[in-house]
Amino acid sequence: MIKMIPVLSFAVLCASATLAISAPGAGQQTVLDRYAAEAKAAAPAFAGFSAERGKAFFLAHPASGKPDTPSCTTCHTADARQIGHSRAGKEIGPLAVSATPDRFTDIAKTEKWFTRNCDSVLGRACTAAEKGDFITFMVSQ
Amino acid sequence: MQLRQVRVWDLGVRGFHWGLVICVAIGAVTGFLAGRDWLGIHVIAGSTIAALLIFRLIWGWLGSRYALFQSFPLSLRAVRHHLSPAGRGEHHLGHNPLGAVMVYALIGVLALILLTGAVALGGVVKQGPLAFLMSFATGIQARSLHNALAIGLLVMIAAHLGGVVLESWRGRQNLARAMVTGLKESAEAPQSAPVAGHPWIAGLAVAVAAAVLVPGTLALNALPGRGVPPPALDAAYVRECGGCHFAYPPSLAPAQTWVAVMDGLDDHFGENATIDSATATVLRGWLADNSSEHWDTRPAVTLRTTDPAQPQRITAAPAWTRFHRRIAEAVFKSQAVGAKGSCGACHHDASTGRFDPQQIAIPAKAFQ
Repeated sequence: MIKMIPVLSFAVLCASATLAISAPGAGQQTVLDRYAAEAKAAAPAFAGFSAERGKAFFLAHPASGKPDTPSCTTCHTADARQIGHSRAGKEIGPLAVSATPDRFTDIAKTEKWFTRNCDSVLGRACTAAEKGDFITFMVSQ
Repeated sequence: MQLRQVRVWDLGVRGFHWGLVICVAIGAVTGFLAGRDWLGIHVIAGSTIAALLIFRLIWGWLGSRYALFQSFPLSLRAVRHHLSPAGRGEHHLGHNPLGAVMVYALIGVLALILLTGAVALGGVVKQGPLAFLMSFATGIQARSLHNALAIGLLVMIAAHLGGVVLESWRGRQNLARAMVTGLKESAEAPQSAPVAGHPWIAGLAVAVAAAVLVPGTLALNALPGRGVPPPALDAAYVRECGGCHFAYPPSLAPAQTWVAVMDGLDDHFGENATIDSATATVLRGWLADNSSEHWDTRPAVTLRTTDPAQPQRITAAPAWTRFHRRIAEAVFKSQAVGAKGSCGACHHDASTGRFDPQQIAIPAKAFQ
């Protein structure tokens, strides 16, 4: 049993390291908490955000918004860790929190871009659940 | 009588002549053939010609015998006599009466070319000593005059070369070589005491002229250009608008365009770009105060006329299309540039609204 301790502690270390990578920072957590509260208010059955759903949402091709922006990946590329380009040719910093640590830490900025881009890409506002899933996915990237 | 070698053209005259040949050649090539980005070299050539002319005016009073203006007075009667059969046998060691006309005409036309060039430089691109004074409209007129005078100068140079050939043949002497060596053959008896000139006094006069003109010109150069917007852009504008695209200086479009842009942010060139109303109010005010009507730079004046079909799109303005007609579509689409609206990719001073010709550098990667 004693021999197992180093193995166990190594496993714990690995697990916590993995968690540390994908866990939101304090800034992102504040934003996520707000969206969680909104999501719960909208649907009492809300059971937390999902990076998987966020990934599917990000990679989807809704084409229901404005014709020049059929999907998130039009500008951001399918790899959230890569630099994207606006249609006007300007570089867009990666959405992945690992590449851009201050992403989704400012609620006003986050809201501004969801307001603009959900309308441009989806042709409607995003729900709090969608926003939370999206951020959770980006935190995991 | 024995032919003697006589020193006719002193070092000042020869240096002036060949210096002028080099500078005029550079000015002509950069002016007529090279693109806008050669303006810097063109201006250096012009400035050097100005310095040469000032030196020549001083040397015309303080130089050696045949350099002096009084040795070749402007006289139509002398020209007529020179061209008549009676004048054919006469030998002129210095400038003959016809050559004198050409010298004064060349100096006069060169001075006018320099003047119109400085006015054009000041008015059109807001550079040089007259930038503080000249409007764009005046600059454009001066540029037309500058171009016409430059063509006139080419004609005069052709006539000058023709004259050299003709007079060399008439007088049985190689005038071109004389301008290199300074020596001419003369059958005449040596002139009484040759006038050697006053190189030291002339040098002092040149130094005094330089001491006044160089700092004076630099001081004028440093004055703010007429109708040039301040280089700094509003911080909120750079943050809100520059987040997605190049932050176009508001002097690039008329007030009408900016109002339409701010009114249509929910469908801004195919995207939702709405901003909160407090910021929008600030930006509307700043854009109205800085639209192209308030400025007199080349982009402000020329881009004021928008494309009626898409008045919001600066890169659709007729003048924009004309300025960029030689740039291939592929360059705009390359990753190094990105889009037609990425002004700053090639114009390194784009955010100041100046768009100086010397500040253009298309990234090499854009051609790959």
